[in-house]
Amino acid sequence: MPDWAVELADVRYRYPTGPEALRGVTLAVQPGERVGLVGPNGAGKSTLLLALAGFVPAEGLIRVAGHRLARGTARDVRRHLGLVFQDPDDQLFMPRVADDIAFGPVTMGLPLEEVEVRVHEALHAVDLEGYEQRAPYHLSVGEKRRAALATVLAMRPQILALDEPSANLDPRGRRRLIGLLKCLESTLLVVGHDLDLILEVCERTVVIDAGRVVAEGPSRDILSDRALLESHGLELPLCLDAHM
Amino acid sequence: MLDHFAGGKTPVHRLDPAAKTVATLAIILATVLVGRDRFLPLAPVAAALALYHAVGRTPLAYTLKRLLVVSPFALAVVVLFPILEPGRAVWTFGLGAWTVDVTQEGLLRAAHLAAKFLLCAWTTVLLVATTRFQDVLQGLARLRVPRAFVVQLAFLYRYLWVLMDEAMRMRMARAGRDGGLGPWRVRFQSHAGLLGVLFLRTFDRAERIYWAMAARGFDGTLHAPVQSHMHLKDWVFAACAFAVGAAAILCDKVFYA
Repeated sequence: MPDWAVELADVRYRYPTGPEALRGVTLAVQPGERVGLVGPNGAGKSTLLLALAGFVPAEGLIRVAGHRLARGTARDVRRHLGLVFQDPDDQLFMPRVADDIAFGPVTMGLPLEEVEVRVHEALHAVDLEGYEQRAPYHLSVGEKRRAALATVLAMRPQILALDEPSANLDPRGRRRLIGLLKCLESTLLVVGHDLDLILEVCERTVVIDAGRVVAEGPSRDILSDRALLESHGLELPLCLDAHM
Repeated sequence: MLDHFAGGKTPVHRLDPAAKTVATLAIILATVLVGRDRFLPLAPVAAALALYHAVGRTPLAYTLKRLLVVSPFALAVVVLFPILEPGRAVWTFGLGAWTVDVTQEGLLRAAHLAAKFLLCAWTTVLLVATTRFQDVLQGLARLRVPRAFVVQLAFLYRYLWVLMDEAMRMRMARAGRDGGLGPWRVRFQSHAGLLGVLFLRTFDRAERIYWAMAARGFDGTLHAPVQSHMHLKDWVFAACAFAVGAAAILCDKVFYA
């Protein structure tokens, strides 16, 4: 049996005041693999990411980087899982960009010199060198998104999970993000409606609808299946639509 | 911006934030300790603040505007003192069935309170005008102010703008539909609704921020790297502030013994 980076078996979750968001999700992701999670609004994609990090108490088996998620192990799991939230204003909570990026490494108990190295590396990776002293509030949406990614990269997680990474980005910001994601060596889980981005970045795509995995396979096959996509509230990526 | 002028390059801008924070607290404490109705001991404080103001090249309009913003907190008390304090009446007027006396003692007390309040507020405005907010926070942390309190302040500053943006967007959305007109009762109701929604959104955001913190290993303990250190000039500055405070208190004790 291979060592999966992420392993989910029959994961279920119902919001206390709402419908069942996850109805038995089973999914396995290999180390280094890039997987896109797509589906209509309310399909359970974002909830799945929250369940993965132990933020919602889901039933079923969740294993991240070999650590089984259970009561008391969430911190171990989160050490290996870098979660980037949809709204960068939630992610960037410190008064300075450098403090924000240092938050994770400092919390991990790394020495100050190592923290500085990681902050520098993360800012370099997202092309935000010189932004150390800037206040997150004054950054543009694109810069905020890259800074949010840097906060997680500084922790060097084995698995990166991004929720709608290209939302509200202009074409240039989006193109920059795609280039950045393609350069990363971590296992990647990308949730979103930007199917063009997923087609370009992820080799495998999983379609989720009504809390279940309804299809999965190579991105090129899944994202060119017009009937499948349309039956789940999606449409062909623009780059494929132009040729079909 | 609260700390719009904090990026300056004057000697006071370059002082260590911890030194400036201690100096601010010392000056405020001395001002508060001056006995009632005593104006002379406030003079050294006012002179020191004027000097700091000049060296820091803080625009007068900026300072006055900030003082105006915080003055309502003191205004209520200052207005009530002249009529509540018993003493020799200098002016009497009727208010319905009541006769109200404005007393000399009350006026003096109000003026003294206003002077103390303005000096304390001026001190704080000058600190913020010459120190970036995040540096003030770092100064507080180095002065061993409880970490939870410092982080609370940091979050307040960080998310104040996000909340203001959110409130502004909701107000614009409302104005877009009612054209800023409509009966006052409806407008009042929509104000209440807007506040309620803002509260709920704040609540949701707080949860998401907690998740973002927990996702990066937050376990309830806050660690932060400490960077800057006090130099000789910072110690001298703090000592000067203490000297000014001591002069005020000494003046209070000697001249009004």
